[in-house]
Amino acid sequence: MTSSSIQGERRQRFDSLVSVFYQDMYRFAAWLSRDKAIAEDVVQEALLRAWKSLDALRDDDAAKPWLLTIVRRENARYFEKRRLETVDIDNLSASQAALLAESPNEELDDLRTAIFGLDDDYREPLVLQVLMGYSTSEIAEMMGLKQGAVLTRLHRARHKLKDSVEQ
Amino acid sequence: MNCEEYREAIAADPAFDGGVSHVAGCSDCQAYQREMQSLNLRIAKAMLVDVPELKMPELPDIDTSGVTSLPTPKRSMKPVWFAIAATVVLATSISVRMSGVFESDYSLADDVLAHIDHEPGSLRASNAAVSDDRLVRAVPASLATYERGESLITYAQPCVINGNSVPHLVIRGQYGPVTILLMPDEKVAEATPIEGANVKGVILPVGDGSIAIVGGRDEPLEAIKKNVLNSVTWTT
Repeated sequence: MTSSSIQGERRQRFDSLVSVFYQDMYRFAAWLSRDKAIAEDVVQEALLRAWKSLDALRDDDAAKPWLLTIVRRENARYFEKRRLETVDIDNLSASQAALLAESPNEELDDLRTAIFGLDDDYREPLVLQVLMGYSTSEIAEMMGLKQGAVLTRLHRARHKLKDSVEQ
Repeated sequence: MNCEEYREAIAADPAFDGGVSHVAGCSDCQAYQREMQSLNLRIAKAMLVDVPELKMPELPDIDTSGVTSLPTPKRSMKPVWFAIAATVVLATSISVRMSGVFESDYSLADDVLAHIDHEPGSLRASNAAVSDDRLVRAVPASLATYERGESLITYAQPCVINGNSVPHLVIRGQYGPVTILLMPDEKVAEATPIEGANVKGVILPVGDGSIAIVGGRDEPLEAIKKNVLNSVTWTT
């Protein structure tokens, strides 16, 4: 097989995976960073990193957790590099506020604001479970936690959201 | 299991399917379970932020001199590989059609039949229902909700068709397994019949998406269609 045909196949494989999982990557980045502009930057970096290390992905069935793990690392790297401060929910930038200003439904707006206000420790496993469809044991593996810790965080996250929307 | 333990478990994972004997006899916990499942659905909707168009970064050339070949796709129940293959087939089909070489009649019905052909394991007769956990994983709340109703769901797998997430369910019909593909991103203008070698079915328009229902040639599908339409709610 020639080098150019290997490159072509590699690119085709990458494009196919990205077309399937791009939306998940972006939404995960958006809820991790709580900022649409940062999410776009994080996804760009994640795509670049995934492209460079694509040959390490031996089984395409594992592509989704592989890509989300890359997004997770890139997000952490982004915040480490810039030493960004904790988001102040009463003083949001335009691209932070953009994440909250999309729904015409008032109840969903309130819930989205409540999710936005959750601590990272609670928000991340909730996104992985509700939006990405992972089991608590898979989330534990991705986040390097014990399953019991994930269950506790999820339980508390839902209670915080329930309390927020009931107020 | 007592009320407190059950509620902690259901709040941590609304798909939790343990504690059956407790919840069956506790109306408060039944109400709490419904409340958590409803909250979960609203959380999923709230998390569905708009996604901007993909902007692919400039990808550098990679030294592939040490690479002899890509991993061989396995022909088995591997939804992602199949989706990629199906996407390539569709892209090829579209490009051929655009080139005017010949008029292709490639359609969503063909995708559905091809998908069923490539997951033969899904059509094994079974009397075992999939767990709630499995069902929720196959039908993530970000796409749709599916109420079991009286159907016996024997297979549930998240699949991909044409690059879109497609929950793939199989229920037990009168004469054998019946495949249900929930396709929230595949809009069809009208009910579209599906005719395969040994199967028949239909793709029904549902909101901005569609649902394919495919059974054996003798399977009466009318009642199943009605039940399925009552069971599914898109959340996208």
